[in-house]
Formats: sequence, structure tokens, C-alpha cells
Amino acid sequence: MSTRRIWRLPAVLAAAVSLSAQSPVTYERLLNAGREPGNWLMYSNTYNGWRYSRLAQIDTGNVNRLKLKWVLQLRTQEKVETTPLVVDGIMYVTRPDNDIIALDAETGRALWTYEYRNPPKLYPCCGRVNRGVAILGNRLFMNTLDMHVVAVDARSGRELWRSQMFDYTAAGGYAATGAPLVVKDKVIVGMAGAEHGVRGFLDAYDAATGKLAWRFNTIPKQGEPNYTWLADSGERGGASTWNTGSYDPDLNTLYWGTGNPWPDTNGDVRLGDDLYSCSVIALDPDTGKLKWHFQFTPHDVHDWDSTQVPVLLDADFRGRRRKLLLWPNRNGFFYVLDRQTGEFLSAKAFVRQTWAKGFDDKGRPELIPGNEPTPEGNVDIWPGVDGGANWMAHSYSPLTGWLYTFAREEHRVYSKSEYRPPTIEDEVRGFHARPAFAPEDSFGKVLAIDPATGAIKWEHRVLTPPWSGVMATAGNLVFGGTLEGNVFALDARTGKQLWRFPGNGPVFAGPVSFLSHGRQHVSLAVGDILMTFSLDGE
Amino acid sequence: MTLLFPLAGAGCFALALTAVVSAQEVPAGVVVPRAAAAAQTNPFDTARDAELGRATFVTSGGCSYCHANDGTGGRGANLTLGEYRFGGSDLQLFETIRNGIPGSDMPPTGGPDEDIWRLVAFVKRLGSQGLSEKAPGDPAAGRIVFETKGGCKACHTVGPDGGILGPDLTRVGRRRSLQFLEESIVNPEADLPLNYRAVQVTTASGETVTGIRLNEDDISIQLRDRNGNLRAFLKDKVKQIRRDQPSLMPAYGSVLSKKEMEDLVAYLSSLRGTP
Repeated sequence: MSTRRIWRLPAVLAAAVSLSAQSPVTYERLLNAGREPGNWLMYSNTYNGWRYSRLAQIDTGNVNRLKLKWVLQLRTQEKVETTPLVVDGIMYVTRPDNDIIALDAETGRALWTYEYRNPPKLYPCCGRVNRGVAILGNRLFMNTLDMHVVAVDARSGRELWRSQMFDYTAAGGYAATGAPLVVKDKVIVGMAGAEHGVRGFLDAYDAATGKLAWRFNTIPKQGEPNYTWLADSGERGGASTWNTGSYDPDLNTLYWGTGNPWPDTNGDVRLGDDLYSCSVIALDPDTGKLKWHFQFTPHDVHDWDSTQVPVLLDADFRGRRRKLLLWPNRNGFFYVLDRQTGEFLSAKAFVRQTWAKGFDDKGRPELIPGNEPTPEGNVDIWPGVDGGANWMAHSYSPLTGWLYTFAREEHRVYSKSEYRPPTIEDEVRGFHARPAFAPEDSFGKVLAIDPATGAIKWEHRVLTPPWSGVMATAGNLVFGGTLEGNVFALDARTGKQLWRFPGNGPVFAGPVSFLSHGRQHVSLAVGDILMTFSLDGE
Repeated sequence: MTLLFPLAGAGCFALALTAVVSAQEVPAGVVVPRAAAAAQTNPFDTARDAELGRATFVTSGGCSYCHANDGTGGRGANLTLGEYRFGGSDLQLFETIRNGIPGSDMPPTGGPDEDIWRLVAFVKRLGSQGLSEKAPGDPAAGRIVFETKGGCKACHTVGPDGGILGPDLTRVGRRRSLQFLEESIVNPEADLPLNYRAVQVTTASGETVTGIRLNEDDISIQLRDRNGNLRAFLKDKVKQIRRDQPSLMPAYGSVLSKKEMEDLVAYLSSLRGTP
């Protein structure tokens, strides 16, 4: 589709987004979310995980006119990792500790606030964070830090049902922080806690009733196929599911990344591949049955979760049209898989790495000795413990045909931890990797990657390893933010920075774009303030 | 003599129910309950204690500055709903009053433990005014009035069912007295919650939309229209905003018989939800 045609789309849609009425977000609408560029209907905007906006009012020629239009003050000291949804002029934002705010996307004025009551003591590894809601019909779905799923009326903010996923005080403590994904009539919800000796799973709940439809345990039981753990170590082996997956309606397959095995940096007590940790699992969304899996990092000892958002792309690969799965992994390699079969196609490093000399034809890494954490601390392992990529959203642009990822080059210390059984009192932590950040050897970089070859087409460096997602748009722009709070727009074709705004707070979220009153807006949480930009602030 | 005093902040700017506030764990350095406060139940919970608590609430405690003399809130949370974000047990209420709410305008409160406990006794009664009364009517018959002749379900939710234009009544019998319930049916405007006030917006293009005001500033106004849709208007595109009929609820005094009214009140009083 040409840029010119896309430009016209907003005008046609203008009437539909003037907050005049909201029609329920049916599954049909979710399936065709790409045809509603004025809205942002799910975490990654569309099921394919692209986080790509088809809006093109803001483009490389006028982005220098982008101005702050309104802010939402979230008033929290926690990290704001939320991706807002926008439906027909209403934005739904979560703030840490599981509150939902519905607001007028034109002004930022609140319409209602839903306040979930979490217990004072919770067990998230890395802050009382939340990454957003999912929607189906007139219902919003959110998972909570104390391991519940709630359905909330999108019009009134009233709670419709609440289901417990798991006892949040079991093992060393469970939490749920990701944004759910709705597929058909089910709400797919992941969980966290692989730093605390939990056993991971992925759940599906009936959107109407809140009843558990299926649970996929990311670690098989002892004696089942693919149980690859020493003795009973898999029972507390982690493999959480704390970020959001993607879905292919044609293959009716759900793709979801899994987290690290526990204890994170001590593999002695869990010898074996530790399936399905650090993997992608391909599931039937109707039943939760496993179709295939691929493990990026067998027997991980570096906390290299594979909880990145799966990016689905149909493209030519080595002369053949294929259904691809693109995956810049925390372990520093950019993977391409066949998403129909799980077949390994290629892996290429996108950051400095010291641990793998290559891969066999099944994608199993050939390890380089000396890359194990040590009790005194190993400072020679790259990428650092937070990875070359982490949970932050990548973005794919069909205009350039490139995948954009905000990569991290970070020097860290890997310390091998002692093993202690997980208990809630002990608050056991599986990793002890002290930061050794120094500006001269650690930095961040936005990369444009050619999926077919893994070649890096351009690189935009920033001072500090980032935690922001990126979003490509049909205006040939790539938006993101730095840890210092610089919100930026890059030329998607060259990487040249065309616009920036000093937000002066750490960015831990991903940008979204939407229409309000027919005009394109871009929103991103900077510090604890959700900032919304538009051309000339209009 | 000043019996209690806010320990931090300029005055008693307490938490607004609709505001976005922080829910952090209590950080180090904030006053924690003293030994006597560790009791799980309130040792000062007689009617007399509650009355003394009320006196503190409206005078030296400074609570009413934000929560209003009758606890219905305004700048601070509405305490008559029986819902407490930071927990409704005696000890949780004690800790909230004693420590304040970090990240919000609710400051810690000094003074002896027994005065805090008496405030707890009063605040708890604010949120459970209906619990001690026994309605004379027939709740089963009242439910039929509610769902048929009254048409109440079109606008009110009980449990999972009902409309969203009016307040959720799932727990109304717990928090409201019989007298209040009847008055609300006969004269809905007598005590209208701030977040259920009706407005009528006429746009520059001539469209008129009636609904419940959800938010407003000098630039825009947001409401929920009669169909439950969320609507927002920029004021420079609005011709007129009318507020002369503050409640969308009709008065039922002449619609229901005395028996029907009694039964309806009994039904509403039976709606206790879960504690």
C-alpha cells in the first residue's frame, strides 16, 4: 500500500473517532485491528506483534512540528510499563499496582478509575508494574500482582468478575505483570516469578465468566515427555510467561515466550536443557495443547528470558515464501524460525556476544567455555544479564521491510548464587548480577534489521542501555524513548533523528499512536507521566 | 486544645476517591502503629467511642476538611461507601489514619492510640449505617418492584446485572439507613453523589446529549450518556451546558404505593454484598 493512500485513511475515519459512541470491540475487530489505524486495540496493536501504526499524518517531513498536547500524571514511584489501548477516542491506561484509568484521548481527562486493591506485601521480582489491559466487547481484562484476573466494564469501570490464577504466596512468590491477549472468547494470561522458584504456566480464561479454560505448564511433570531437569528441580524451575504473546489466525497458533530457569545463575541443581524455559511455545489457543517449541538458550545460566514479543511475518526467506517468526532474543542473537513447524532458519548476533561460536542445524548453540557465572563474579560475559533485548517491544514496518529493536550493550557482572530452597519468608533471589555499568562500555542502540539476512541496516546510538519499546509508523518514523527521558522520532529508512523531546524521566514503556478528532497522536509514558504528542499540539 | 494533628503536609488534603493515587507499601520512616495498636480488633468500639470519634473527626482531627462532616467526601474519599482502598479491617483503618497514605494528600495523624481507635469506630459506622436496622417490608416483593414496575435495573447494578447510569446498589443496604433509602426513591435530588450529577450538553452543531457528568475542566467536559456511552466535548465547540435537573432518576413517590415503597426499601436494605 502506498503512503499516499494511507494518508487519506484518517480523514475517512475522522467521524468515527470523535468520541461520539463506542461500539463493542468484537473478535472480528481484533482480527482486523490493522484496518482500524485510528485505534490501538491490543498490546502490540495487531496480532502479528508488529507494533506498527498505519497512521501517516505525522511523517518525516513534518515531525519537527510535533508538540506535547496533554499529559496524564500517574503519580507513582514505580516504573510505568503500560501500553495504553485506544478505542474510538477513549484511552485505557493502567498504572502500577493495577489501577485502570479510562480517559478522553483528546484531552487526557479521566472518565473513570478502577482501583484494584493489592495486598501491601507482594512478590514481583522487579517492581509493582503492569503492562496494560486487553479488550473484548465492552470488557477490559487485567491480571494483577496478587495473581488474579479481573474483567472490568469498559464503560463504567465496574468489576464484572475476578478469578484467582494461583496463590501468590506459593514458593518464593508469584506475580502477574503482563498485558493479557484476547484470542476468540478467551483471555490469555501469563505470570512471573522465575526469580523465586515458581513453576511457570500460561492460562486461558473464558472472557464471559472468568472460568479457567486451560492451563499450559511451561515445565512438564517428571516422567512426561520433554522433562529435562535434574531430579525434581523442574518443580521450582521458573519458566514464567510474563510478557505478551502473538497469534496467527490462519494457523490458529498462539506464540508465547518463556522466562529463565531457576535458580537463574546456578545451573548445578537443574542439569539438563530445562525445557521449556528460554523458549517459544506454539500452542493451540482453543485447547492450550503444544504444537511445537523451540528453545533459544538450553540450560540457561544467564537469566536470558525469551519473553520478547513474537513478531510474525510472511516473507521470502532464502528464495522461498515462508511464514516466519522473528525473534531478537535476550541472549543477543536475532533468530528467524519457521512458525508453522518451529524449524530453525537462522541466528545472527545483533549485540556483542561471547558465549556462542555458532549453531547446529537445529539451532542449538555451540558454547564457548568461560562464560559461566562464578561465585566471585565473571565480568567477561556479553550480553549483560539484562540482555541484548529484553521485554521491550520491537516493531516491524512493512514500508521498509525491516524490524526495529532497541538493543542493549551492557557490561555486567555475573555472579553464581548459592542454592537455597524457595520460601516466601526468605525472599530468595536466584540471581546476583551486580551492574558494572560504565558509559564508555555500555550503551543502547536502535537497530533496523533486515529479517531475511539479519543484516543491520542502520544503528542509532543512545547513551544508556534502554528499557523503552519502539514503534514504527506509516509516516516512516520510529518512535521510542531513552532512560534519560528523551522521546525521539527517527527516520525509519536512515535512522537519522528527526525530532526529540526532553521528557526527563526514565522510559520503561512502548509508544502507541491513534487518532483523536481525526488527528494523529503519539503517546508514551515517560517517568510517571503519560505524554501525548500531536502536530502543533492540536 | 488540639487533640490530634496532621503530621505532614499542609493541612489534611486527603485522598480523593476519583483521583489517581499511589498505593505504595508504607516506606521506611513513616510512623508505625504502637504496641497497643497491634490488636486486631478495635478496643474502643462502643457507641460512645464512635460518638467521641465523630467529635474528633469534625473538629481537632481535621478529617472533615477533606472527608466532609458526614463522611461523604469531596476532596477526600467518600467514607460512607464501606469500601476502603487500603483495607477495611479495624487494624487497617487504624494504620491508614495513623500513617496516612504515602503519595497522596492524606497525612499521618498524631495523638494517643485510643483517639485513633475512636476515629476507626466512627469511620466504620459511616460505612455500615444500614447494618443495625430491620426493614418492615418484604424484600422478595421489593425485588419484583425493583425489576418490574420500578424499572430500576435499567440504571442500577445489583451484583453482575443491571445498568450503569446510576450508582451500583450491590452493597447499598450495608451502608445506607432505611430513611436514606426511602428518601433517595422519593426525592433523588435530596442527596446526589457528585459523580452522578446530570448535565445536558448542546453542541455547536445542535446535538443535545444528556448524561452523567464524569469529569470537567475549563477546556472540556466528559459524561456518560443515557445509553452508557462515554462522551467528551471541548467547551469551545459547545453551545450550552445545562445543569438545572441534577438527577436523571425520576421521583417515585407518586408512582409506588405505600406497600410497594416499603417492600422496595426492604429489598434495597437486604443488599449487603460481601463485607
